[in-house]
Amino acid sequence: MQAGGGGFFQRMQDYLKRFEPNLVNFMMLSFLLFIIGVAGVLSRRNIIIIFMSIELILNAVNINLIAFSRYLQANELVLRQRGIMVNPIAGPVFTIFIIVVAAAEAAVGLGIVISLFRNRETIAVDEIDLLKW
Amino acid sequence: MQLHGWEAVLFYVLAFMTLIMGVFVISARIAVHSALFLISALVNVALIFILLRAEFVAGVQILVYVGGVMVLFLFVIMLVQTRAEEESRVRLYTGQTKAVYVIAMLLAFAFIAAMRPAQSGFQSPDATAPTQTSADRGTATGQGAGGVSEDTQKVGSALYREAALPFEIASVLLLVAMVGAVMLARGSKQEKLYE
Repeated sequence: MQAGGGGFFQRMQDYLKRFEPNLVNFMMLSFLLFIIGVAGVLSRRNIIIIFMSIELILNAVNINLIAFSRYLQANELVLRQRGIMVNPIAGPVFTIFIIVVAAAEAAVGLGIVISLFRNRETIAVDEIDLLKW
Repeated sequence: MQLHGWEAVLFYVLAFMTLIMGVFVISARIAVHSALFLISALVNVALIFILLRAEFVAGVQILVYVGGVMVLFLFVIMLVQTRAEEESRVRLYTGQTKAVYVIAMLLAFAFIAAMRPAQSGFQSPDATAPTQTSADRGTATGQGAGGVSEDTQKVGSALYREAALPFEIASVLLLVAMVGAVMLARGSKQEKLYE
């Protein structure tokens, strides 16, 4: 389009095009979710909420994997012309394995929480200090 | 990969909702509220997966996380409910809150330092090949117009052809986790029952 041409809406549209999300925006979302999860793990006392924060961290990783998979899918031809072989379907497959491991981790972890609560009558992490000296 | 039009708006809405719900998860006083906010965050993440045209993973996310893991979380919250946190005098946080700020800042600086040189690299294939992006957009609108997405088919064949061994190992892992969770959670009363 020629410079100076177009009305207000055209210029508005051109300006807004700058904010269209690409891979970097998805990585920023993933990073911020990761930070929130890390903050939850480090700061909360309730062990169940610490487990929930771990789920948030794993979801951040999943967003990253899916976004990269989509990026590779969109640019597969270009990358192949440059001699880079890509496998875009590896992202979703890896994400499914992460979900499986997260489910197993949650089951075992919550079993430990129940056992812990039965023995110590608390789920606050700073009161569980039997191995501390 | 660049989202256009309503997809771009939807991305910002979903990302904002996900982050807000994440903050609510780690700052809610009552654990059940935390779990409900986490369900909302997970549904938002599933919608972001749909936005990225990974419909199968979005379905798995809803089924496994919202349907399975979160029900487990809610059960355990109700089993170990101490009712102590609902009173305002109980501390919610450990004494590490300042360390959390420091670590978050360090991670943020590391992210910015890593992204600044990488940003141009990630955008270049899109910019140098406008034909590719328009072709990609064409297939995308073709899918949205009523064609069936091939994502599920691709993921299924990749799972059974290229990742068959990890798939079987994952099933064994789930079995071991199930047995381990039952072993850990049973009490002395149940142990006596079988003797």
